[in-house]
Amino acid sequence: MTRISAKYLAQRLVVSYLTILLIMTLLFALVRSMPGSFIDMMTSPDMTQAQVQRIRQEWGLNQPLWQQYIDFMINYQLGNFGWSPTRIAPIWQLIKQRLPRTVILFGGTYLAGIVIGPLVGMYLGWWRGSKKDQTIFTSGLLMYSIPSFWIAWLFIWAFNYELGWLPSGYMVTQFPEFAWTPISLSVDILRHLALPIISFSVIGWVGTMLVMRTTMNDVVDSDYVFLAEAKGVSERGVMIKHAARNALIPVATGALVGVVFILDGSVVLENVFNYPGMGNLIVTAVLNSDYPVTQAVFFVMAVLIVFMRLLTDVAYTYLDPRIKFGEEE
Amino acid sequence: MATEESEFTWFDAVKDRWSHRYERFQRGWGRFTNHRMGTVGLLILVFFSLWALFPEVFAPHSPQWKAYLGPTGEGRMTLEQVESLPHPPAFGDPFFAPLGTTDGGTGVMTLMVYGAKTALYIGFAAGALSSLVGVPLGLISGFYGDTWIDETIQRIADVVYSLPFLPLVIVLVAVRGITTTNIILAIVLRSWINNCIIIRGETLSLKEHAYVDSAKVAGASDTRIVFRHILPHVLPLSFVYLAQDAAFAILTQASLAYLGLADFTAYSWGLMLQNIQARGYIFDAFWWLIPPGLAITLVAAAFYFIGFSMEDVANPQRTQE
Repeated sequence: MTRISAKYLAQRLVVSYLTILLIMTLLFALVRSMPGSFIDMMTSPDMTQAQVQRIRQEWGLNQPLWQQYIDFMINYQLGNFGWSPTRIAPIWQLIKQRLPRTVILFGGTYLAGIVIGPLVGMYLGWWRGSKKDQTIFTSGLLMYSIPSFWIAWLFIWAFNYELGWLPSGYMVTQFPEFAWTPISLSVDILRHLALPIISFSVIGWVGTMLVMRTTMNDVVDSDYVFLAEAKGVSERGVMIKHAARNALIPVATGALVGVVFILDGSVVLENVFNYPGMGNLIVTAVLNSDYPVTQAVFFVMAVLIVFMRLLTDVAYTYLDPRIKFGEEE
Repeated sequence: MATEESEFTWFDAVKDRWSHRYERFQRGWGRFTNHRMGTVGLLILVFFSLWALFPEVFAPHSPQWKAYLGPTGEGRMTLEQVESLPHPPAFGDPFFAPLGTTDGGTGVMTLMVYGAKTALYIGFAAGALSSLVGVPLGLISGFYGDTWIDETIQRIADVVYSLPFLPLVIVLVAVRGITTTNIILAIVLRSWINNCIIIRGETLSLKEHAYVDSAKVAGASDTRIVFRHILPHVLPLSFVYLAQDAAFAILTQASLAYLGLADFTAYSWGLMLQNIQARGYIFDAFWWLIPPGLAITLVAAAFYFIGFSMEDVANPQRTQE
C-alpha cells in the first residue's frame, strides 16, 4: 500500500526542516531591520542612560548580533517565543489563544469554499464554452476581484447598520445582558461569525472553481471518458463518477495549500471585524512595533505552510496512483 | 528577368518578413476577441487608462479643489452644506460634484479619476516585473531541469512560497517605507513564483520536442535555443499570468491601504477607502464608499478577464466546439 518510500519521506522532511531554518534566518534579518524599537515605548526621555540600558539588557538587546541570532534560532526551535513587550504576556500563550479562533472563523469559510468551488467548477468545465459557463465564470471572476474588506463593509452596512440583525464585530457580545450558558455562548459566537463568513465566502469559492474548471476540461477529452460514454453510462454518471473524480486530484492537493490563503484572508478580515485572531495579532503587532510578536506569529504561519506543503506531497502520491515519488525506475 | 526582380521592392521585402507575424497576431487576436469576456476586460482597461493618462480632461476639478472655497454665489457651497459635509450628490448644487464630496469638500469623482493612475501603475508594473523575473528563471530552470541550477531556483522558490504573503508584504513595506514603488517590489518578491513554476513546467515538456533537438544539432547555443526557440512558445502563457499578477497586485494594494499602509503622497482608490474608514463615514456616505471599491473590482476583474481569455490564445487546442 505504501507508495511512498522511506527515503523520499526522509528527504522531504530534511528539506522542510532546512526551509524552516532558512525562513527563520530571513525573518531574523527582516525584523531586525524594521524601523524603531519596542524599547522606545518602554522608556521615557526622563530616564537616565543607565535605566535605559537596564531595560535593553533585560530584553537581551545588548548582546552582539550573532549571539542574538543563535539565541533566537535555539529558542524558537524549542518553542520558546519569549514575552510580548506591549501585551505583557508570554507570546506562546497569545498564539495558543488565538490560533483556534482563527481556525473557527475560517474553518467554515474554507469548507464552503472547497465544497461549492469544485461543484461549480465541475459543471463549468464539463460544459466549457456554453452560455451558462460563460455567465457563471465571468461573474465568478468578478466576485474574485472584490476587495474583501470592502464587501465586508457593505455587508456590515446592510445587516448591522441598516437592519440590525447581526453584530458587526468581536467574537462574543462585549457586555452581555444575558447569562453565559453553553447554549447562549455558542449561539452568540455563531451570530458573530455570520458576517465574516458570508463576506469571505463570496470571494473564497472562486479559487477552487478555477482549478477544477481547468482540470475538468482536460479530463473531458480523455479516452476513459470516451469509453464510459461508449459503454452507455449516462452523461451525469460520466461527469460525476468518471471525470470529476480524476479532476479532483489537483483540487484536493490545492485545498491543503489553500489553508495558506485563509491565513492571508484572516489578516484583513479579522481587522474589519475586530475579531481577536492571528491576523489581528500580527497587524497590531507591526503597527505598535511589537517585534517579538510579529516575529513569532510570522514564524508560526510559515511553519504551518511548510507542514501543509509536506502533507500535500504525501497526499498526492496516495490520491494519484500514477505518481511514484522517490522510486528508482 | 531583370525587370521582374526590380519589381520586388523594399516594401515587398518588409511585407514578406512581417506578413506571417502579422497573420499570426491576427489569428491570436481573432481568438481573443471571440470571447466577449476578454473584449469587455480590454474596454474597461482602455476606459480607466484614459482616466489615468488625462486626468485633467475627465476630472471635474483639480484634486486641490474644495467645494467651500471660491467666489460667493457661483460654485461655492452654502453654509448649511458645509456643516453637513460629506455632501451627497444632488441636483441644483451651486458647484459641480457629480458623485458628491468627501468630508474635506473634495469631489469624489475627481479623486476617482486621479486614483486611476496608481491602480493601473501598480497593476502593470507588478505584472510586468513578476513576469520579467519569473519567466527567465522558469525558462532556465526548466531547460536545465534536474541539474543543480534547476534545484537551486526551485529551492529558492520553495522558501519564498512558504512565507505567509500578506504578513510578508506588511513587514517589507514597514521596513522599506510606505511608497508605491516599495509596495510593488514587495508584491513582486512573492508573485514571480507562480510564473516561474508554470513556465518551468511548460519548458520541461517543450524541450523534448524534435525542433529543439534539431536546433541543438544545427549548433545553436543554449541561450539561443531558450530565447529563440522555446520562449516564443511560452510567451502567450506568460501573458496569462502577467494579467493575473496584475489583478492580484491591485487587490493587495487595496488591502494594504485598508491596513493603513498606503502611500499618502499619491491619490489612490485604496487610500480613499482608508480615508473613509479613518474619518468614520463608512456607513454614512455611500457615494464615497461605493465608487472606489467598484473601480478596484472592475480593474482587477478586467485583468482577470483578459488573462483567462488569453489562456485560449495560449492553448488553442483546448477550446472546443
